[in-house]
Amino acid sequence: MRSRSLIACVATTTLALLLSLPVSSAQAPAGGGQAGARGARGAGRGAAQPVAPSKPTPHWPDGRVNLSQAPGVKGFWNVAGGSPIGKGGTGLPTNLTLEEVPFQDWARALYAYRQTRGGLDDPHSRCQPAGGMRFFTVPNGMEFIDQPELSRIFIIDGENRDWRRIAMEPGRKHPSEDLLNPSYFGDSIGRWEGETLVVDTVGYNEKFWFIRGGLPHTRFMHLIERFTRTDFDTLKYEVTIDDKGAYTRPWSGGWNIKWQYTNYDGSPGGEIHEYFCIDNERDSADFALQ
Amino acid sequence: MKHSAIVFLALMAAAPLSTPLWAHHSFAAEYDSNKPLNLKGAVTKIEWENPHVYFYIDVKDDTGKVVNWAFEMGAPTVIQRNGWTRNSMKIGDIVIVEGSQAKSGKPHGNARSVTMASTGKKLGAGSSEGQTYQEQ
Repeated sequence: MRSRSLIACVATTTLALLLSLPVSSAQAPAGGGQAGARGARGAGRGAAQPVAPSKPTPHWPDGRVNLSQAPGVKGFWNVAGGSPIGKGGTGLPTNLTLEEVPFQDWARALYAYRQTRGGLDDPHSRCQPAGGMRFFTVPNGMEFIDQPELSRIFIIDGENRDWRRIAMEPGRKHPSEDLLNPSYFGDSIGRWEGETLVVDTVGYNEKFWFIRGGLPHTRFMHLIERFTRTDFDTLKYEVTIDDKGAYTRPWSGGWNIKWQYTNYDGSPGGEIHEYFCIDNERDSADFALQ
Repeated sequence: MKHSAIVFLALMAAAPLSTPLWAHHSFAAEYDSNKPLNLKGAVTKIEWENPHVYFYIDVKDDTGKVVNWAFEMGAPTVIQRNGWTRNSMKIGDIVIVEGSQAKSGKPHGNARSVTMASTGKKLGAGSSEGQTYQEQ
């Protein structure tokens, strides 16, 4: 009886520790305090659970929102899934349900077919780039590099070390259709609307699934993305999908992305690691047998 | 110090249970949950690389024939969160692997956990089994 009580006590204590003490002092990043409290082992891929109120949204000396690291605080955006539809998980409360997505008939049918295949036909599973908004769902970390003196913002992704370039020149226009070569990340023009970075992108190819699961798109896809750092630890990503080839009207959705203070594996550092999908890709040979 | 040690042990105890995953491909695209595996064998090769760590074990079947099985785990940084390091498993180690076989029917599986036969230590393998493939 006594040993059972002891076991129960240890189990309860362990659970309490798991829920309330997510980090040892050795893992606290420079600056410690709140930052350390969120830098727990196991805080990678979607597991980050803030245990204290976030610090406020950081700003640069000129007043612009800082979407990246702040002095003395390491880390990166822990992209870990996310979807423009569904309200669960990191999804925004304003997201549509799948049934509410304004598919054209062919697109609905194609989506249903892709679901029956369980992802077997997903180009990303063969290491093709995560184009469009999928850039903000694949794991391995993401950072913004804001260069106002050069009127550009880079968004870099640990996944295959992909990057996007956001042109910030006032008055900038997209290239004409005949000069716009279809690509995975398109041609992006950004502007600030108060605290929100708004990015307008056209020129996508049709060689990728823009989200896991396989919502269809066409070369007409036009994305308007809105990035708002609602507090230090949270980046709200909102996107409007305007694709007259696949949907009957523009529609919107989004998800929240959390800041990660440690390395991806939970060790101290807060740095994006190298991840090349093609390095040891052995799955496509198996796909071919089905 | 004592406090840190308790925290560390608690975290390590729960780690194999706590990894939500986003593999670069869906589990269902390649593996079959209805083909469970529980195999014991000696490690012959380890590929500690992205997008998945692979390891290979020699397994004797009922007739004594040795078959080399390949097992997929999560990416290195993912299974590191479960307590793995690149030196956790060595060539020649005897391991017990629980997982699911590939739909192809080949000696190839997705590992859910790996137990070191010599110590009984069991580590989660970062499987994406059970993960849905819809957006929501």
